[in-house]
Formats: sequence, structure tokens, C-alpha cells
Amino acid sequence: MWKSVFYKEWLKIRWFIVGYTLLGVLGIGYMFLALKHSFAFTEGENMWHLALFQGHQFYSHFKFVPLAGGLTIAFTQYLPETINKRLKLTFHLPLAENKILLIMQAFGACSLLVSFLIFFGLFTGFSLIYFPVQMVSNSLITISPWMLAGFAAYFIIVLIILEPKWIFRFCYLLIGGFFMTIYFTLDGTAAYSHANSGLFILTVLLSVTFVFSAYRFRKGEA
Amino acid sequence: MIECNNLTHYYGEKLVFENLNFKVREGSILGLLGKNGTGKTTAFNILNGFLQPTSGKCLIFGEDTQHMSPKTKARIGFLIEGHIQYSFMNIHQIEKFYSGFYPQWKSTAYWELISKLNVSPKQKISDMSCGQRSQVALGLILAQDPDLLILDDFSMGLDPGYRRLFIDYLREYAKAENKTLFTTSHIIQDMERLIDDVLIIDYNKVLVQSSVSEFRSNFRRFDFVLENDETDLKKESFIVNIEKVKNKVELYTYSTESVVKKYLDDNHILVSNFAQVEMPLEDAFIGLTGKY
Repeated sequence: MWKSVFYKEWLKIRWFIVGYTLLGVLGIGYMFLALKHSFAFTEGENMWHLALFQGHQFYSHFKFVPLAGGLTIAFTQYLPETINKRLKLTFHLPLAENKILLIMQAFGACSLLVSFLIFFGLFTGFSLIYFPVQMVSNSLITISPWMLAGFAAYFIIVLIILEPKWIFRFCYLLIGGFFMTIYFTLDGTAAYSHANSGLFILTVLLSVTFVFSAYRFRKGEA
Repeated sequence: MIECNNLTHYYGEKLVFENLNFKVREGSILGLLGKNGTGKTTAFNILNGFLQPTSGKCLIFGEDTQHMSPKTKARIGFLIEGHIQYSFMNIHQIEKFYSGFYPQWKSTAYWELISKLNVSPKQKISDMSCGQRSQVALGLILAQDPDLLILDDFSMGLDPGYRRLFIDYLREYAKAENKTLFTTSHIIQDMERLIDDVLIIDYNKVLVQSSVSEFRSNFRRFDFVLENDETDLKKESFIVNIEKVKNKVELYTYSTESVVKKYLDDNHILVSNFAQVEMPLEDAFIGLTGKY
């Protein structure tokens, strides 16, 4: 049965996740092309100096890319479920309601994860061409909260879309907006090195919040 | 098969129904009739576990509808008002999707119905007419082969041809396979063609639960013309409803002709053209619940 749920979710998001991943890959390609250009016209030491001592992040344009991915997948996956309250069809399937929602969410999160791993891999591979391991490692620590923010945005939007009452949606939006700022507060390179594990736990906790909205939807609190 | 006991529901402070009790017996086709706002969809939502009643409960196959197990849900075919389905799928994809949930899935039942639509398997549901979508929704229910079918306003948005196709297919299937069907529709002529038993609810209460034939034979309409159109017709307990337009009167009652004539005589009401009129279900429904 989970295969059927995956199939439905795939039908909803396939063009969006493929398009998003392609755009992300192109973006990363462009980013490193620009970096190559900079290396060609500037001494490598200068670039390292900028990165090491002046906090220059050549990848800063990437900051909100995972966030955009989380939002895109959440909307494309869950809006079709709420139009005409189609979620009733989903809840009528012969599976426990929370289990179905969990499978749906796991599919969305795994799709994002695949995209992010591709980005992560490309970013790491290209970075190692130009920078030493220590600098690349710091860059990865820097982009980790941005990646986590993509998942957090996805979970928060799921919570908001499934919520049947507008007043609660608004409250979730405010609280969710506050949570999202946590992932973007510090700008320095590797600034989140001690906070990433905490952010990871926070993101995992956000992944189960959908049960509140789903329960209220099922009980007809619209 | 379905049993609702002392069902009461409020939306905020607005009472929808109070102490509603009804049963749907196995193998029957029961139609729920009521005016707009009397709680038909509310009752369906409670039955499907999408709404928690303020008090009381409904049982389907002996299970509380608020906590139905996947096994019980697999035995129930459900049609949402407006034939809502996953419109981002095409007719092949939706069949493939649902077939994964039901081990007894009958693909041929689905494709047999779809073949009447003259559409390709890649036809997207969102691009289909409401009538075509209704056949897809019905085909999916037939392929699921449930023991109980719950259909909320199946005629919504359908033209007469598709309504007839839907009803004839459904009735034949339900009778041939001894399925139980609980349904509602705004078009009572459709219901009359489909249902065996009727449950009529009005604001807050059940007015009738019986077989259609029993209701139609017991509930009577008498038409007459008043000699004096100023005559005030006193509503006595045996009279369910009186509709009066100028001097023409329709009187609805469960009582016999002799009771009505005695009432007219006792009150010195002079009438002409007195006659009992046969009613289709729709007229009986309007006579019972009133036009407003």
C-alpha cells in the first residue's frame, strides 16, 4: 500500500522536484563557473584571503535555495489534497490516517533529501577543486542550516496547509516564521558549528507537528 | 450494518440535529432526504469519521465510525459530494493507484464502465466533464467491490443522461451483489428510481424512516377547492401540512379520506372537487416538509 501512496505523491511532485533539482544543479554550476572566472582574474591566495579573513562566501547565493525547495514541494504535494477537501479520499483509504500522512511526508522529505544530497555532493566536489579540505568543511557547516531550513519549511508548510482553521493557520505561520529565522540568524562561516546538531533535532521535531492539523481536519474542525 | 444512536451535532451554537437515530439494514438501499441545511452532509461526514458528533455515535459493521480500522474502511465505498477525485491523475493512473489498496480489486468492472466514455486511458481527470468524472468515481467504487456504499449527493452536476446511467448501473450492481447502499441526492426522482427505503430528516428530527412503498401508501394528499377562499383551515393533529393557494388546497396527512371529510364537515367547510391524489416521492417529500 505504501507503494501506491508513493506513486500518488510522485505524480504530484515529479515535474516540480525534477525541475527544482535541475535548476539547483544549474545554479551550482553557474556559481562555480563564476568562481573559476574569479580565480582566473585574481590570484588564488587573494580568494583564500577573502574567504578566510573577510568572511566572503562565494556560495551565499545558495542560501535560500533549499528553503525554496521545501516550500515548492510542500505546496505541490499538499495543495491538491486540500482543494475540495480531497484529503477525505486519502483518509478513507484502508490505512491508518497518521500512517498515510507519515508516508506522504516521508516521501516529500526523501525527495528533498535526494535533491539536497545532489547539491551537497556537487558543492563538495567542485569546492575541493579550489579549496583545501578545512575550508570546504567550514563551507559545508555553513550551508547545513540552510539545508535544514529547507526541511523545516517543508514541515511547517505541511502543518499550515493541513490545518482546517484560518486563525490557526495564521498562528502557525507566525510561529513557523519565527522558527525559520533561527536557521538564518548567523551569517559567519561555520557560525553554526555548535548549533547544527540542535537545529537537526528541532527539524526532526517539526516533522511530527502535522499530526495536530491532521487530527483537527479529521474531526471536522473546519 | 449502519447504526446511529442519539446523534446530536452543533456547529458552534447552531443545532444541526438532536438525538438522531437510524439504522441501515444489510442489503438495503436507503436514501437520506432532507432540505438544504438539515444535516445530510453532516451525517455523512460523521459516518465516514470526518466529523466528531457533539454526542452520540454511529457504528458501521459494529465499529465506532470515529475509530474505524483499515479493514473496515476497505469494506466501505465512499463517494464525496461532487464526485471529487484526484484530478491530477489520468484514468489509468487512478486505477493503478487504488488497486494497490484493495486485494479484491476488480479492474474489469472499472474498465467496463470507462469504456462507455470513449476516452483514452491517458485522459486526465481534471480535463473531464462532471458526468465523465462521475463514471470514473463510480467505476472505482465498483472495482473496490465494497460491502457498503456511501454516496453523498451523487447527482450533483450531472446531466439527465449521466444521472440515469449512474443510477441504473448502481442499482443493478447493488441488487446483483447484495450490497448495502446509503445515499443522498437533491434530485428526488433519481432517488425514487434507486432506493428501497427512505429516511427523511427535517431540522433537528427524523420525520420518516420506512420503505418507499410503505411511505407512499400511508402518506396521502387530498386536493379540494374551497367554496369560500377566505375560509381559515384549522390545522389539527392529524394534518401534516396544508398548502393553500387562493381557494385551492392540498392537504397532506397519514389519515384516511373519511377522517379528512369528517374534519371538513365538523368545521362546516364547503369544498368541491375533493380527490385523493397519487404522489411521486418528490411530491410526498415536499408535502411532508413543506415548500419553505
